[in-house]
Amino acid sequence: MVSDSDHLRQKRVVFYKEDVEKINEVLNEFLKLSDSKCNILIDKEGHMVTKAGTTAGIDLQSVSALVAGSYAATREMARLLGEDEFSVLFHQGRKDSIQLTLVGDRTILATVFDERTTIGMVRLYAKEASEKLEEIFKGIKNRPPREGGDDLGKDFGDSAKGALDFFFVD
Amino acid sequence: MVQINFALKEVNCKVVYYGPGLSGKTTNLEVVHVKAPQGSVGDLTSIATEGDRTLFFDFLPLNLGQVAGMKTKFQIYTVPGQVYYNSTRKLVLQGADGVVFVADSKKGKMAENLESLENLAENLREYGMSPETTQIVLQYNKRDLPEIYTVEEMNQALNKWNCPTYEAVARDGHGVFPTLKHLAGMVLESLNRQHGGGSVVSRRPAPAPAAVAAGGGMAVGYAQSAPTAVATHAPRAAMASAPQHQVPMRARGQAVPIQGGVRVARPAIQVPPRKKKSNGMRWVVFGGLVLLAGAGAYLHFTGKLRELLAG
Repeated sequence: MVSDSDHLRQKRVVFYKEDVEKINEVLNEFLKLSDSKCNILIDKEGHMVTKAGTTAGIDLQSVSALVAGSYAATREMARLLGEDEFSVLFHQGRKDSIQLTLVGDRTILATVFDERTTIGMVRLYAKEASEKLEEIFKGIKNRPPREGGDDLGKDFGDSAKGALDFFFVD
Repeated sequence: MVQINFALKEVNCKVVYYGPGLSGKTTNLEVVHVKAPQGSVGDLTSIATEGDRTLFFDFLPLNLGQVAGMKTKFQIYTVPGQVYYNSTRKLVLQGADGVVFVADSKKGKMAENLESLENLAENLREYGMSPETTQIVLQYNKRDLPEIYTVEEMNQALNKWNCPTYEAVARDGHGVFPTLKHLAGMVLESLNRQHGGGSVVSRRPAPAPAAVAAGGGMAVGYAQSAPTAVATHAPRAAMASAPQHQVPMRARGQAVPIQGGVRVARPAIQVPPRKKKSNGMRWVVFGGLVLLAGAGAYLHFTGKLRELLAG
């Protein structure tokens, strides 16, 4: 029987350096081919995984949370309309636009682009990038857990206590 | 779910404030936004109705700082409390690592508290999570009001999962930090149990009667912010005489332009109570219309309308 703690551990997302390097490679290639401004990979809980391109001036944490929220709302809408999921979302702005592409079952690729490129180009290469990323995620999902590979260190508990005491001064 | 990113050296956790409408969830976030050390929180983003009620969620990114070499971040959300918004509330709850349930202590609000708590349990179960094992802290808010339930009454009605509880007056900033500190500790402790191996950060009290657990059921280092379930309650008189939290107030609806949209920074604390829309006027108008329609129908069918029109 799987305990609650094991269940949580299985569901938890752990990204190692080499995973993110592989993901970055795909994102950078996509950035070049599509001529987009930046690409942000976000998990469905609204946490950013990694990014490529120019993100200066973008509040990445808030954008990630809003992308995840927007996606979750759209998915619910799809369900009510009898669809499983809308795999691509597009928001058009005056200068910048954003396309959201579902990658696998728990990440979203947000692509910000302007008039230097077209929605068609972004859509074409996003599909390709999404398939490559999905392969990487499949590898991450199916890999057996590393012995001690996801340890946060023995002093994590003490350090957390210290950080909480420092932060929450009432 | 917690995301551990060794490439960015980051740990990301999600915390959700849950509770009935107008119980003070957004106010809690507004207080954290203002009281947190400078530079450690981002902008407070609200997706609210024109009447300033939460429509989808409020969001506040909080950076706890380096914990064992990892940047530890909390993404804090509130859900819309109104019963009507259950679908969006459920979406926000997805992947939560911890929940603060903000209950309204005001007399007459228990049914709403219970309904919301039941809704939380139901939504957690739909995500395959059990309320018994999820990290939950109960906050009994509005303790400064004149007619409130006692903590014992609140505990008896709401604390069926033996969660830590805190008394609060969120609009004055009281009890907001201890509640969040305890929950953050519980979330990090859960992480520490599986990925750390060192000392205890904070722990959900063992299921024991409050009197027995008092002083012994809590984790180390939390004497000051011990939950009411396992420690003596702070008397209301003491709470009232405690120094009021002084924070600069931000203008309601002050817009901060960002790329592609507008983010509304909501005020911090000392928020004037959000008015509940009265239904009285609607009933008066509705009643008037019904009377008019009835009179019109009577005149029409008795032929008197034609006589009147004819002169």
